[in-house]
Amino acid sequence: MANIVTATLVGLEPEGWREAIRAVCAPLLEAEAIQSAYIDRCIEMVDEHGPYMVVAPGIALAHARPEDGVLKLCLSVATLSDPVLFHHPQNDPVDLMFAFGSPDDQQHIHLLTALAEGLSGGLADDLRRSSTQKAAEQVMEEVLKDVIS
Amino acid sequence: MTKKGLKEPLTALTICGVGMGSSLILRMTAEKAFKELGVKAKVVATDVGSARSMQPDIIIGQAMHTEEFEGVAPVIISITNFTDHQALKEKLAEPLRQQGWME
Repeated sequence: MANIVTATLVGLEPEGWREAIRAVCAPLLEAEAIQSAYIDRCIEMVDEHGPYMVVAPGIALAHARPEDGVLKLCLSVATLSDPVLFHHPQNDPVDLMFAFGSPDDQQHIHLLTALAEGLSGGLADDLRRSSTQKAAEQVMEEVLKDVIS
Repeated sequence: MTKKGLKEPLTALTICGVGMGSSLILRMTAEKAFKELGVKAKVVATDVGSARSMQPDIIIGQAMHTEEFEGVAPVIISITNFTDHQALKEKLAEPLRQQGWME
């Protein structure tokens, strides 16, 4: 069981995808799980490699590499009441943002396995339906119950 | 490249920009798809740069990445939803049959 920093935000209204990445990462920076350079790298990854991190219709998974400034294993999620465009050919607009950081290339595997399982089982819509932060937190707790100590 | 026959384990790469987030989610989805198709495959998540030096049987990723790999692997699959294993199964079935990798 890993010690994971998590954060859940609901109903954000970011101005565009760059601000959406900053917003979903902000609580991880505040919790000192990542450094601010990590957020810049997450944004640069999109500039360099395209919006591939928009992994499904409406869903983006922002992250960069362990050496880009990750201090603790972490995952955050934010629902957007004002969706943003990543200029993805099929999956725009994005109304659900995830961000994660892993201190090495192994620690995040269980976390992302649980997230992938959740996403294939309706997690995205459960989060979109959560009108309060508490409700969204409960949804995430259920999905991550086997990986968070 | 040597052509693999039925029952030999295949190597599939799931690719993304970093090689540890989106491609890992896609790896889970691909493993589920191969299992349900009854095809033995070792699925490896990697970044676009590393994928160039590997010799996989199958490459799966977003079109913005797979377009760079035309001719690198016998089967190249472009997918937009990394969490939808049913859609991936449907995309895999025909090319796998064509290669003789699936009955």
